[in-house]
Amino acid sequence: MTKKLHMILASTAIAAAGSAALAQDFTDKRVAVAITETISGYNPYADPVVLLGSVWCQVYGCITRYDWEAGEFVPFLAESVETLDELTWEITLPEGLTRHNGDPVLAADIVHSIEYLGSNPGSGKSYLVAGWEKVEAIDDRRVHITTATPDATLRDNLAGVAVTSKALFDEMGDDMFRQAPYGAGPYKLSDISIGEHMIIERNDDHPMVQAQNPRQIMFRIMPEPEQRVTALANGEVQIAQLVPPQLRPRVEGLPNARIETTNSVEMMFLGMSPKTHPWEVKEARQAVAHAINREAIVAAILQGQAKLLDGPVSQGQLGFDPDFKSPYDYNPERARELLASVGLEGVEVTLSTPVGRYTADRQITEAMVPMLEEAGFSVTLDTPEWATLWANVQQGNVPFYYMGRGSMIDPSRALHQYFATGGSPRLGFSNAELDALLAAERAEFDPATRAARMQEAIVKLVDEAPAAFMWQHEMAWGVANGVTFNPHPADQVNGWEILVE
Amino acid sequence: MYLSKRILGAIPVLIVVAAVVFTLMQFAPGDAVNMLVSDEASEADKAAIREAWGLDRPPLVQFLSFLGNAVTGDFGTSFKYKVPVMELVMEKLPATIELALASTLVAVVIGIPLGVLAGARPGSVWDSMASAFSFAGISMPNFWLGILLILLFAGQWHLLPSGGRTPWGLDLPRITGFHLVDSVLQGRWDAFLSTLRYLALPSIVMGTNMMGIIAQMTRASVQEALHEDYVVTARAKGLSGQRVLWRHAFRNALIGVVTIIGLEFGALLSGAMIVETVFAWPGIGSLLIQGIAARDFPLIIGLVLVYTGLFILVNLLIDLLYTLIDPRIRVS
Repeated sequence: MTKKLHMILASTAIAAAGSAALAQDFTDKRVAVAITETISGYNPYADPVVLLGSVWCQVYGCITRYDWEAGEFVPFLAESVETLDELTWEITLPEGLTRHNGDPVLAADIVHSIEYLGSNPGSGKSYLVAGWEKVEAIDDRRVHITTATPDATLRDNLAGVAVTSKALFDEMGDDMFRQAPYGAGPYKLSDISIGEHMIIERNDDHPMVQAQNPRQIMFRIMPEPEQRVTALANGEVQIAQLVPPQLRPRVEGLPNARIETTNSVEMMFLGMSPKTHPWEVKEARQAVAHAINREAIVAAILQGQAKLLDGPVSQGQLGFDPDFKSPYDYNPERARELLASVGLEGVEVTLSTPVGRYTADRQITEAMVPMLEEAGFSVTLDTPEWATLWANVQQGNVPFYYMGRGSMIDPSRALHQYFATGGSPRLGFSNAELDALLAAERAEFDPATRAARMQEAIVKLVDEAPAAFMWQHEMAWGVANGVTFNPHPADQVNGWEILVE
Repeated sequence: MYLSKRILGAIPVLIVVAAVVFTLMQFAPGDAVNMLVSDEASEADKAAIREAWGLDRPPLVQFLSFLGNAVTGDFGTSFKYKVPVMELVMEKLPATIELALASTLVAVVIGIPLGVLAGARPGSVWDSMASAFSFAGISMPNFWLGILLILLFAGQWHLLPSGGRTPWGLDLPRITGFHLVDSVLQGRWDAFLSTLRYLALPSIVMGTNMMGIIAQMTRASVQEALHEDYVVTARAKGLSGQRVLWRHAFRNALIGVVTIIGLEFGALLSGAMIVETVFAWPGIGSLLIQGIAARDFPLIIGLVLVYTGLFILVNLLIDLLYTLIDPRIRVS
């Protein structure tokens, strides 16, 4: 009897404590965000993940940022970023800018940060400053950057440059990131537990924050979508990243949360490497583009939560032309004709796909197999572990694959990387005319002219079809009631854009 | 003397394990640079990072260099986290051990009475029910059970947290790293209760499989013991059925059960990877998964060696425990 009583008391105590702790209470203005990716420690330059890059920018302050309302890159930590001539840029810091510990932010800090990004083994983002020939501090507030060739994407690249302290680095080296993470951003680093969470705290002295912004934000790593959604339902987190289509109705049915959506700027595509047979034949690549019933896949597998692409970009991205329509409608007959015209009926191909990396990736490619076979390909589906597939793609060893490419607000870097000659080994595509068009857009500083150049490049790219452009996923975020958060096409969670009731 | 022999005997095991893991990682496609550096980095940049991380050296040189440092307890620095591996291990290991111990407790507290109940009444309804329950425990996949319990206890009934180890804002200064111990040492009963709540679901999930095995093992051992001569003698002396069961049959059946608990505890540690991932439990299991995905060699080898060392240690403790259960056994 006594034992039974103890058990009842214990379970009651656990339940009572649970209920009390799980009630949502925003009076302390703390917001927990469930994220999918891990956090690469204390070094702000180590993390190539977009979301975490944006967190570091909130702590240290990056030189520029993308203004979604204005639709352009604007100064963030800097006061201005201007071109002096085709090859020279000037960054000017605002007067009296200080770090969280009161130290001034100096031009030398920008130079140091760019040098660290470019050459330190601790940096995972050296590509951002590739091709910058000279970076020098003119005085305490001004920095000049000289590029090897005209580069209209420089403001985009500067959005990834978190400005850390040269003085503290000289004193402590890499230990600075852990012992003295003093930035000049709207939030301060409060705590990191590797593999678990990262907490940032509002910097009330910063002009971008207001009282309604969260006082603290915790980014909690939750790789399982079920757990993210359950934690949202349970009041443990207030924002949940990447709610997959099958869990969306559950969130929509929650009394304490809702779904907020945005289109991703990540293009999903089927890459075909012309270094391998049969992809050296343009008609075979075009046949793939005609063979895939994208509408059916989006409707049946993605439950309508994706936007079909006519090229690599869509509304809101540089180079988007609303009048341009993809020439590749779903037409298996046309696909068969194309294959037959080059004598490739029945040609054997292997389609490789990641599993669990992108929304419904495996199911999507499984659906693609019969479509490709109907068009005359003989298809084997390959589903390697992500690390294996990614390594092989990077080395150019995967002939035909389903993949995504993010960070495409300005698509220039991505298009150069995949489709320009020598851009990377992952497709090995080469076309002199496309190279010239891509080089021309990058060298053009007038936004309207540059967009027109990009559109020309995209028309050529779509015609050559080294990739069949599929769709951009509609990204669904779970958001607790009482919290205002409108997600952006890029995976960024900026504290100053979150409002807590 | 016995302890020294066992500890010295572990050294070659650890070296072989390190060599096997290192060799396997050499054959695995992809390397840490490709996984951790942005896909936009140039090949020259990647080559420079490979050199800085020592990945450009011949594999044998890399391995010997690792071993030389490992002897001094230095497993190198994690490529991904830029933090010494040993520091990460020391930070995360208590969470894994605490979870494994809690799971073992769940398994023992349920599994042994269940096994004794079934073993004492073979062929009865109790036996059938206990067997069905334990077989269900053995056959249920951790991943599935974890998700199910999260959905029910966190998502549906809001009784327990869905994951993590502590609630945000619980300030519990670290003494040992074991939250239950630390909260007791500091008299923090709020933290103690909170830790129990966070431990509940993952330990039930991890302990369920072990519970089934322990129940079956106990059942068989008790059944066997109940047919031994000393049990007949005890009954002939007029001892009560319960006394015969617990004092004589169960105590003798315990040797086999303890062996299974020891072996299963080792399996539990390695099985923790899945449970830790499902429950976002910040232990070395989830850390190892992240390390493998990033091809973070120092982290992977360091963690595998820790797992191996723990397994050896648990087996040593089990051997020592035998002497307590059966005084006739001597460690020599």
